[in-house]
Amino acid sequence: MKFTPEIPFAGGRVKPLLAQDIDGLFALYQQPELPGQAPLVDPEQLSRLVDISVKMAATQRGMMWAIEIDQPDSAPKILGMVSGFDWHASQLRITLRVDALPELSITQRQAALTVCMNFLETKYHVRNFAYPWIVGQNAEIKTMLTDLGYQSCAILRDAWRIGENAFADVHQFHYLSNTDKPIARRLGDDDQLGQVVNNQQGGAS
Amino acid sequence: MNWNFTTTNVNVRLPINEQDGNALFALLQQQHAVDHIPRIALTDAVQVEDELRRMTMQFETREGASWLVTGTYDDQLFARITVKKINWMMRAAQLQWELAPDCDNELMTRLMSEAMNEVLPFLMAELGLHRLEMRLRKGSDKHTELLKKLCFTYEGCLPSQLEFDGEDIALDVYSILTSDLKS
Repeated sequence: MKFTPEIPFAGGRVKPLLAQDIDGLFALYQQPELPGQAPLVDPEQLSRLVDISVKMAATQRGMMWAIEIDQPDSAPKILGMVSGFDWHASQLRITLRVDALPELSITQRQAALTVCMNFLETKYHVRNFAYPWIVGQNAEIKTMLTDLGYQSCAILRDAWRIGENAFADVHQFHYLSNTDKPIARRLGDDDQLGQVVNNQQGGAS
Repeated sequence: MNWNFTTTNVNVRLPINEQDGNALFALLQQQHAVDHIPRIALTDAVQVEDELRRMTMQFETREGASWLVTGTYDDQLFARITVKKINWMMRAAQLQWELAPDCDNELMTRLMSEAMNEVLPFLMAELGLHRLEMRLRKGSDKHTELLKKLCFTYEGCLPSQLEFDGEDIALDVYSILTSDLKS
């Protein structure tokens, strides 16, 4: 069963992590955006990441997409990832993060994040999206979040460790959807676990 | 490593399964003691056995630790302090407490100051934690006043963190860092 869909946006798409993408993902992990994160040494670790991404999506603990951007003269290239983690499915909230190479523009980053949010909101009724911005990351990301409707809710002091005794503040952004909460139905009516559906559609998701 | 502390007016000690059940139930069955988390108060003494077992297992697996704050002379239970969600990589953890609602505010402030003056340096110096935060329901004034007196800093309010009693609950975040403690 495929839990992580491929979703197009202008100029590219987000798609599930696949074994054949490991080279592209390895290149991404050579320039980590997260402050304090060292470049990945062993590509084998990404095989495990691909496995974990499937398991996380299947159990609604997280969801990972590769951001693939069309290239004018060559095959599409992976320039980033959207990660959903700390997913509290019954509380309808998740934390998102985009990690990307410098070539990914803010516009493309925003488009990728938007289609993932729309999917999670539509399919899983997620209503509360958190996004931690860590001091040291590109400040344009904060503007992008604000443009998307996120609000800065808290500054968590020294909440991200960047060295043995060095820490960075985390700016915690939240986007709250104003869509209605899903209507609880009788358990067992829907055999697609976790995919709560509209009562009036008779079980179709 | 000694996990138990004694001050002038309080003992801050790990719970003892065989003897602390009744006092802990008396504390946790009061809704006012857990409103700030928020959580539903215990309704049956049997639930305390589960609570004590969880505390023991969390301690054994290094997931967390709970202390009971009792009077030095009469052993009356004033509070439970818990450290949980320890992230050893980030050197951070969350604190939670339940305070006896019938205790006078001024007395509670004094007793908790004594207790936390032992617990906080222990968590930072002995366990190497750098950041301790408490998340509590917005509007829990009695608790936030105590946190401020203990030099915790308000960091903001996280919206819609959980549903409780038909409401979306926003949680205020307060924290203290090793540098705050030193200063």
